[in-house]
Amino acid sequence: MTDPHPTEFALTVLRTAGTLTVRVGGELDHDTSDGLTDTVVRHLITDEAGLSDVRLDFRDLTWIDSSGLTALLMVRRRTEAVGATLHLDHRPDVLERLLRLTNVLEHLTAPVTAAETRDRRLRTVRSDG
Amino acid sequence: MPPLVSSSPGTSARSPDAGHTVGATWTDAPCPVLVVDRHGGLVDINGAARRLLPGAVSGDWLHEHVPSWLCDAHQRIGEGLRGTRAEPLNGPIKERHFEAHPTAAGDGDVVWWLVDDTDRRLAQDALTDAQTRTEILSEVSSTLLSTLNVPRCMEVTAAMAAEHLADAAVLVAPPKGRRHPLTYATRGGPATQVTRLVDVSGVPGLTEALQGFPPVPARWINPADLPDWVTPEGFAGPAGSVIVAPLPGHGVPAGALILMRASTEQSFTEGEEVFARLFAARAGAALSAARLYSEQATVTATLMRELLPPPLSSVNGVEYAGGYRAAKDHERVGGDFYDVHPGSDPSQDTLVVLGDVAGKGLDAAVLTGKIRNTLHALLPLTDDHQRVLDLLNGALLTSRHTRFATLVLASVRRRGSRARLRLTSAGHLPPLILRADGTVEEVHARGTLVGALPAVTAHTVETVLAPGETCLLYTDGITEARGGPLGDEFYGEHRLRRALSECAGLPAEAVVERVQMLAAQWLGAGRHDDMAAVAISVPRTGPLTVLNGRSPARTRSST
Repeated sequence: MTDPHPTEFALTVLRTAGTLTVRVGGELDHDTSDGLTDTVVRHLITDEAGLSDVRLDFRDLTWIDSSGLTALLMVRRRTEAVGATLHLDHRPDVLERLLRLTNVLEHLTAPVTAAETRDRRLRTVRSDG
Repeated sequence: MPPLVSSSPGTSARSPDAGHTVGATWTDAPCPVLVVDRHGGLVDINGAARRLLPGAVSGDWLHEHVPSWLCDAHQRIGEGLRGTRAEPLNGPIKERHFEAHPTAAGDGDVVWWLVDDTDRRLAQDALTDAQTRTEILSEVSSTLLSTLNVPRCMEVTAAMAAEHLADAAVLVAPPKGRRHPLTYATRGGPATQVTRLVDVSGVPGLTEALQGFPPVPARWINPADLPDWVTPEGFAGPAGSVIVAPLPGHGVPAGALILMRASTEQSFTEGEEVFARLFAARAGAALSAARLYSEQATVTATLMRELLPPPLSSVNGVEYAGGYRAAKDHERVGGDFYDVHPGSDPSQDTLVVLGDVAGKGLDAAVLTGKIRNTLHALLPLTDDHQRVLDLLNGALLTSRHTRFATLVLASVRRRGSRARLRLTSAGHLPPLILRADGTVEEVHARGTLVGALPAVTAHTVETVLAPGETCLLYTDGITEARGGPLGDEFYGEHRLRRALSECAGLPAEAVVERVQMLAAQWLGAGRHDDMAAVAISVPRTGPLTVLNGRSPARTRSST
């Protein structure tokens, strides 16, 4: 209550073996959603070792709107492309409700299977080149 | 003579050893010194004075060698009027400008010390000029930047150019089609605007200026070569001196300015040409901003005409009403949309669509246009909402972005006194049904958003509206309107449901208005998302009900 910026958007990135964890705090909306996509994509591109899991931790999320959901869908598209599974952890009510209403929770968190093989192929191609 | 000199002001004081060389000091002074007797005869002059007044020797008359301002001053001193002098005497001598300082010598002689201040004066004039020009430039900017109206900007530019830079000015704007908008102004006269087919290559440097090349120096333009169209009405021609200056815009030239001076006036100096260029730069920037703004405003207005929600009315015995408020009040279009596609006859379903595209503003509005068009094309397939959503999803899917839409499809058909509704939600907020007794029900029509996933699922719910009952479709802009007594609370579904329950029996239009009004009240001056609502109502009574009610019944019995 005394915090002058109770909903300041913040991203905290944690990298452990095979897993990228991004803690998303504050409001994920029209103004901030690009920040999330960019951050995740940057790590996906630069990570040499390859990631098997990307975890978005929403325990400090205060608000998400349709633009925020657009970002999650984009993150999912990019993680799928590199064969990483997306996890949405500690979902607050506001996120849970949005995911249920739009019926995308299953899609977002489905384990990557077919894409994984495709990605392995891609990686082989890259190491050849 | 020597005592006089030692008491004199100015340059002689600079002598490092005045006492020792006092006899020679005044003759060596770098400034001209004249010793004149009370009758105006030259007693002696120093070297500097001889260089200034070649041929002057002792014994000549003062008035034979210097202008009258100095002679008169000398005479006044002779008459004892010296005390009335308030400021240093000054005036021109032989194309230079001097201050004259007299000191008294014995026998009524006067020593005139002439201090050359030509350069100081020139500097002072230059400074005053520069100050005036800076003032003009800042006036140009502030006047021009206060308007985003292109014709007004051109008018002001031409008028100010004629006022401060020349006797007449013509602003040639880039062509619209083959014709150039021209703005004429003469000093003191009103600016006039015409659009004319003119040959710009007739004016030296104008074609180049309109392409944004640097200006051609004024001396390269022969005023006699100017074509007639350049000369404004009321200009006391012929032109004696002409400048063509480009108006540099943001990336593209904003036009060119032709400045003219009558042959009776002095021609443009190099400094004035530089100033004209500065003036043109300011004017060009303002003009270009105005042009960009008006182009954008036109684009937005054109798009808006296509994207604005349609007016709704009663169709086949069912009332429809819609309300829309864009997130930014000045934009008028946004990410929410609705449409009603009437069935071709009462036996056909009327399709109602209400939806919300992720994002805001024009980007979102363009996507809503795409969705509305696609759905229009899919109308023949609306017996199967799932299939419509599949096809729509496929049409929207792109690798470039994951911008999605949520929407509700409602197929409505009148049956007797009631209306049958098939409702399908594609990830949208569930429709609310207001029963005749004030009960509010939520329709459990769930499904996947469209436009982002490879496949979508949807579940269609059927329901029936009795006379006086209403189905409300709405977007989250209403339930998520932030405001209330604390200023940061959502309007929320519970408030919407309560508000709706008080609308039992009202016509569709009144329901939408009531909902919008309450959301707007809750919002106050707060920031909000797009807000849209559509009400589908079966009128309680009235001849329309009976008339249209029969028609579908007959059709049904025949099939």
